[in-house]
Parts: sequence; C-alpha cells; structure tokens
Amino acid sequence: MMRYDLTRLPLVKPLLKSRWPQFILTALLLAGFVFAILAGLAGTPVGSRNFGIVFVWIAWWAALMLIAIPLFGRGWCSICPIPAPGEWLQRGAVLGPQESSNDFSRSSATEVATTNVRRGLGLGKRWPNRLRNIWLQNAVFVLVALFSAVVLTQPRVTALVLAALLFIALGASLVFERRAFCRYLCPVGGFIGLYAQLAPVEVRVKDLALCAAHTAKTCYTGSAAGYGCPWQVFPGSLVKNTYCGMCVECLRTCPHDNIALNLRAFGADLEAPAGRKLDEAFKAFIMLGAAVTYSAVLLGPWAALKSAAYAIGTPAWGAYTAAFLLLIFVLLPGAFWIAVRIGTVFSRSGASTRRMFVSLAYALVPLGLAAWIAFSLAFVFANLSYVWPALSDPLGWGWNLLGTAHLAWRPYLTGVTPALQAVVLLGGLTWASATARRIAAEGLPPHAATLQSLPVILYCLLVTLALLGLLVA
Amino acid sequence: MRIISGLSNRYAHYISGYGSPASPAVRRLPPGAILLIALAIAFFPAPALSAAPIERHIHLDAKSFAYAPAVIAVNPGDRVTLELSSGDVVHGWYLDGYDLDLTAEPGQTARLTFTADRLGAFRFRCSVTCGPLHPFMTGKLVVGPNWLFWRAAGLSVLAALAGLMLVQPRPTHRQPR
Amino acid sequence: MNAERAARWFVLGLALGVPLAILAVSWLRPAQTLELHARMAESGGWTPDALIVKAGEPLRLRLTSDDVLHGLAVGQTDWPAVDVFPGKVTETTLTFDRPGTYAFYCTRWCGVNHWRMRGTIEVTGETTVEPAITPPLYVTLGIDIDRPHPAATTPARRPSAGRGAALGVTLPMEYLTQEYYRSHAPMEVWRSLRAEPFMTSLSDDDVWDLVAFAWESNTSPEAIGEGGKSYAANCAACHGEQGGGDGVMAEALVKQLSTGMGHEAQAPASFIDAASMLGASPALLQGKIIRGGMGTGMPAWGAIFTEPQTWALVDYLWTFQFD
Repeated sequence: MMRYDLTRLPLVKPLLKSRWPQFILTALLLAGFVFAILAGLAGTPVGSRNFGIVFVWIAWWAALMLIAIPLFGRGWCSICPIPAPGEWLQRGAVLGPQESSNDFSRSSATEVATTNVRRGLGLGKRWPNRLRNIWLQNAVFVLVALFSAVVLTQPRVTALVLAALLFIALGASLVFERRAFCRYLCPVGGFIGLYAQLAPVEVRVKDLALCAAHTAKTCYTGSAAGYGCPWQVFPGSLVKNTYCGMCVECLRTCPHDNIALNLRAFGADLEAPAGRKLDEAFKAFIMLGAAVTYSAVLLGPWAALKSAAYAIGTPAWGAYTAAFLLLIFVLLPGAFWIAVRIGTVFSRSGASTRRMFVSLAYALVPLGLAAWIAFSLAFVFANLSYVWPALSDPLGWGWNLLGTAHLAWRPYLTGVTPALQAVVLLGGLTWASATARRIAAEGLPPHAATLQSLPVILYCLLVTLALLGLLVA
Repeated sequence: MRIISGLSNRYAHYISGYGSPASPAVRRLPPGAILLIALAIAFFPAPALSAAPIERHIHLDAKSFAYAPAVIAVNPGDRVTLELSSGDVVHGWYLDGYDLDLTAEPGQTARLTFTADRLGAFRFRCSVTCGPLHPFMTGKLVVGPNWLFWRAAGLSVLAALAGLMLVQPRPTHRQPR
Repeated sequence: MNAERAARWFVLGLALGVPLAILAVSWLRPAQTLELHARMAESGGWTPDALIVKAGEPLRLRLTSDDVLHGLAVGQTDWPAVDVFPGKVTETTLTFDRPGTYAFYCTRWCGVNHWRMRGTIEVTGETTVEPAITPPLYVTLGIDIDRPHPAATTPARRPSAGRGAALGVTLPMEYLTQEYYRSHAPMEVWRSLRAEPFMTSLSDDDVWDLVAFAWESNTSPEAIGEGGKSYAANCAACHGEQGGGDGVMAEALVKQLSTGMGHEAQAPASFIDAASMLGASPALLQGKIIRGGMGTGMPAWGAIFTEPQTWALVDYLWTFQFD
C-alpha cells in the first residue's frame, strides 16, 4: 500500500514536535467547551439561540462528522479539551516534560525510561482487564443516544452532559493511568475510533527493525523527551488507527525519529485482518442503527416518534427505547448473522460463522460513516445559519459582539442536499460492497469469496435503500 | 442445492472475473458497461407523465411539533394553494428547494399559491421557533414521482455490484489453467 | 521552565477570563433596565408580572422569551405592540403620564392559555384630576348580559346593507343615532321598523336589509377594518375565523375548562348563529367583551381595549350577520 510520510514535508515535523500548536488549540477548545457549559446553564433556554446547543450539535458536529473524521480520523482526539485538565494534573505539567523538568538533562540523548507520567497527581492504576474493550463505550453512547431528543434541544441538558464528560474524564485521570477516559469511556471516541480506520492519515513507525533493537521503548514508557503514549498503544504494533489518538507524543519521544505521519489510501485499515473484535463489530451495528433511527425520528415526518423520543419517562419513550435497543442489539446484528450464515453455507467455505460475522461486520464501517454523513448533511445545512447569531449573542442576553446577532435563520443548500445525500450513500455502499468482498477473500478462493460476501452485500444494499427512503424519498 | 450452488458459481465467475480450473475463462462484465448503465440511470430523462396539472387546495394544520398532513403529494405543474393554520402557537413553513416561507398564528390562517414545477421530494420545516423540538418539525412535499430516489435506488444496485468488481485479483488465488 | 509557566498562565487566563468576560459584558447593561421574561402561561407567564414605575419616569424593559414567540402590549394605551422573540432580547421604553394601574398582555398566540398571560404596571404619582368612571352601557341600560337572548324571528336570507340603501327608504333619524343603534338588538330594531306605518309595503327581509343599513350607517369602513384586525388577532383563535365558535383553540379550551370545572364547559359563542346574535344588542356584546364570561373561557377585555376599540370590534361582529 502506498504511503507518503508527511513529516518529510518542510514545517510538518517542527509543527508536530513543538508542543505549542497542539497546546494552544486544546486550551482554546477547552475555553470554548467551558463557555458552552456556562452558556447552557446560564443562557437562554431556547436551544437555537444558545451557544451551547449551536456550537456543539451544529458547528462542532458538522466539523467532526463531515471533515475531521473522514479526513483526519482521530484528529479531533489530538486536540480534544475533555481529557486535557486531567492529563495536565496527571503529568504535573501543562506543556511537556522538557519544559517542566529541571531534573533531567535537556539533551534528548539522555534517555532514561522515566516514570514522568506519574510526576503529577493521580493514582495511576491500571485499567481493569475485563474492561479492556469498548463495550463500556458502546453502553455510554447508547445511553446518551436514548436521551438525544432532549440533549440536542435543551441547553441545560447539553451543559450537564458536557460537564459530566469533563468531570468523569478528570476523575478517570486521577484514578487510572493515561487517557483511560478516552480509550474506554468516551462515547464520542467509540465511533471516532471505528471510523478512523477509513481515514487517509495514520501514525506509524517507519522501521520496525529499529523498534525491535530499541529495548527501552520510551515511546510507550516515556522519557525526558516526551511522555509515553497516553492511549496505551505501543506505536510499533500499530496496524490500525482505531486506538491511536494522533497526539503524536510518540513522535516527540522517539529518540530515533522513527515515527511517521503517513498519507495513505482511504480505508487502508480495513484490509488488516488482525485485531477484529466483537465489541467493535457491535459498535458498527450500534452506529448504523442509530443513523437509521435518527433519520426516521428526527428527520422524518412522524410526529408520534418525535414525541415519544422526547417524552422521557413515559411509556411511549419506554417503547421507543425498547425498539431502539432491539434494532441495534438484535435485529441488525441478527439479520447480519443470517446473511453471513447463508454466505457460509452457499460458499461451502467451512469458515467459522462467528469469525466471518466479526470480520465481515467491518464492511459496515464505510456504510456507517456514509450514513452518518448523509444524516448530518440534512440538519447541518438547514441549521448552520444559527451559528452567526450565536457568535454575537451566545447566551441570548441581547449582546451583539460581532454584529451578527440579528441575522435571521436561513437554510442553506436545501435544493441540492438530497442529491448530495444520495451520492454519499452510494459511495458508502460501493465501498462497503468492495470491503465485504475483500474481507471474504482473505481466506477463501475467489468465487467462494464472492458467494460468501453476496448476502452481506445484499444486507448493505437494503440498509442503503432504507436510508435513501428516509432521507431522500 | 447443487443446482443453486452450480448456478451461483456460474454468476460468481461473471462478477469476480476469474476463470476456474474447470471452466474456461468467462468474460468479465466490463466496467465500461457498468459505467454506461449508471450514467443512463442517473441522467436518462424521466418519461413524461400522464397526470395533467390541476388546481389544488391543501389545508395544513401546524401543531407542535408536526404538520397534518405531514406528507403531501402533488402532480408536477399543479397550481397549489396552501393554507397554513396553526393550532397552538405561531408556526412557520419553509419549503426546501422552492425557498418559500409562510407564517401562521392561531386565528390567522396564512395562504400561499405556487406552481409545483420542481420534481422530487422537498422537506418543509417550521421557520418560527415554536418550542424545543422546533428544528425537527418537518414534513414532506412530493411532486410527481421522486426520480432522485428511484435513480438512486437503481444506482444502489449497481453500486453494490461495482463494489464487488472493484476488488483486484490476488495473485496467490489465481489457479493455473 | 519559562515555556511551562507561560502555558500555565495561558490556561489560567482563559479559565478566569471566560467567566469574567461574561460577567463584565452583562454588567455593562445600563442601569434601571428591567428584564422581563415571557413564558407560556403554563410555564409561569410573565416574570415579573407586577411592575411599578413613577408617572413620567421611563420604564426601560429588556424583553425576551424563554420558549415561543410572544408579544407585549399595554392595555388602554396606543403604545404599539412589540414582539418578544425566543432567545433574543428586545429593548423598549415605556413612559406613563397618568398614574393608575395598567394591564400588559401577550399579543402573539402562545397556546390555549395565551389570554391568561397578563401582568400589571402600577404607575404611582399624584393625580390632580380623578378621571370620571362611567359605567359601561350595558350597566346603564340594565341589561343582564348573562341571560339568553334569542331572536323571535330571523331573516330568510342574509340581510344586506347595500340592498337596504337601494330600497330608497328614508329612515327616521332616531333609528340612525348611535345611541339607538348601540342600545337596541337588531331584533328590536326590526320589530320597531316593521311596526312603522310607512314600512307596510316592504317584505320582512326588506326590513332586515334596512336594519343592516342602519348598522352600516352607524359605523365606518375604518372601524370595521380595525375591528377585523382586532378580531383576527384576539378572537378568531377561539371563535373561529368564520365566526362559528369553532376556532383552532376551541376544543382545547373547552377540554381544559371542563376538566377544571368537573362538568362540560360552554363552547365559544358562534356569531353566525342568527337566532342568538340578532337578539343581542351591541351594548350586550360590548358588555360580554369587557367583562368576560363567568365560568367560560371568555377573557375580560375591559382593561385591554379602549372604548373606541371595543365598539369597533362590536361593529365588526355584525359582519357575520350582515353584508
């Protein structure tokens, strides 16, 4: 697979090695995050005129789903403000070990595997083995998703969710080592990681032999030059983007300049057969089911569904919850299992259905991202114009900081949005189909692979038709 | 079972483009053909419709947070007079694609007349903040058959097939003839 | 070390700066402005709902809505209504010359309890002249506005003022005075006219047309226009845009009242019901508008409409009966 190391370009390596750009972005985003919480708590209860709602669920969501994830994978995670306070406390420093250390020699040649990750506060406990998966993340995402109709529209509730994330991340940093929150708890991180496999950028080592010869592995343990990987990943073993937060700490720490930021083909990680797990497979089903559900409930014309989703605590909401959980945990995976089974039988492959189920579920990754992009296009363009008044009057208190407070709501690009959505969904389907075929061919001869993947491709086709029906029809 | 798997083997050859040791190399469905079919589905002009345009009066009741009826179907070219009546608070009505806007208050029905000359499915949404679920207060106007949807559906089938064909042969699986 | 310090100061600056900035901008608000929040009546209505100001002193208000579109107007004044937008702040200043108690109310329909959204403004000060309080006409005339008022006969066709004018009959002056018009129900006017000797050649319906003509002579297109606007904004939601008592709010209103009272509440009056309308004098209608209904959902508009406004509305109501 073709890869181009971007650090060969001028300015890229110095920009990444310097801690200032990332720090300033993170600090500014943290200020914005805190401001969003304050706006949600103290500002107007009218969602469309509150900075908290507008900048989280319209501006940030659009940037994340339409730009950050497809182009930069976990790029958002590298500047995300949520873990920042906890990480600063953990490290006992806001910028970095070189800048804060006066015990160690400034020369990076002095390479001592230190425990500088523990110089700050925190118990530094190891995350429990039983929870070393994303099932917890799946659960947290589903929990937030069930309340989404209220979260997306009530500033107070958004503020509470954001504040909860901030404090849970802080708590996790003070108890566990490194970025435990990001890796195992963050609801957003679950799907960013899953879809990061599709991104055209990656952080990988340049020469594995160098890593083998390097016993200290300071990219993981940390040294005077930099901290060990906060994502508990050993860069030398990185095959997929799923758990690499692109914080490029390893790039700073590696004494042999062996870390590269590669430009590569989209979706290269899907070809790696290793490391396919059931929890990630279910994340794919959860995201697909959520996209379909939101398209029906939030963007559809059925008032009963919307009211049910909003009326938390009522029997109607209970029914909605049950239907949603049934869809994501039973119906979608169940139908997929049937498709895989049919494929296994007809191809006479002799492959284990369970293994095929987990492997082929990765074909749903490009389909899911396409579904979320298509869904997001609809409400982002329709509501983007709320951003301008929110900049001037973020709390709805009558300010006019930038003069844009009185700009009226105006939906953008409504004539072309359905066509755009169709194009995105078609692209996702093509990609999913190719991925299914490719994954099936990993252990099977060609015509058997085709037969194995055909029912799964039909499944993807049906899901695409359903999404087209909900969004475009 | 054998017949089905035999048939499916045959079609699998067409799609995956490999020859098997038993049968001679079969022609692969050329990608050019798929592209041509795709373009045809996407751009071939839709057949003219037999339904003649008529005058329509549609009464729309807006109540938080939905319209009744939520889905309106009209023929292309219809002269549509829309009556928007609000049942509880001030509601608006904005039609995607046509860029039309209307506001109604309980007791003050608003009217708008337009010609449905653009085909497809167009969402209409509330344009006056009417409560928490206001951004999701939507409905749909369908003008004629929704060609975008049908074309996209046709293209979806092709997309699924194209995805299969995009996979390049792996040398290790190539059987010697 | 310097870099780390600088970075820490940066974070601290942002952490403190953001909340301080918010406080500073909000402190910059000019003094003596009162923030008035509008919410649907079920959620609290106006907050605060009792304002006090001195006569002659400007009352600066910052108006904002916490849910849907509302509007603000002050009764018995000609101060134009101001829309109160959700999540936006509209500033306005009110100055009252005369002391007294004024009612302010919501002018944009915000649910079935929209008409309950009212508050008071107490304007304090010395009054040099006590304005004479005249009782409304129905009190002076001794009309019991709660008693049913059926019309004994009703016209076969809709009376037309135009047709009445074209009849070429000169009506005696007394029928054309405003005093007479306001104190007599159309039924009574018809009966009186019918009994007049020079009317014997006319048919019953012709006489009704003359009644319509008498109505038209006692009003003006401007008044009817104003009354129409008033009706559309305030009455149509319950009484129906076509006056049938079947407005969009009627069902919800009746349901709410019935639940509260424990028995079936009365529906909003129908103005197209000739039997009841033609038996009501303008004074009776004005009385109902001013006082509101007892146990019905009819609000009391006495504190809101000025007398000319009320009469304009009454004039308009006859357009449901007459052309």
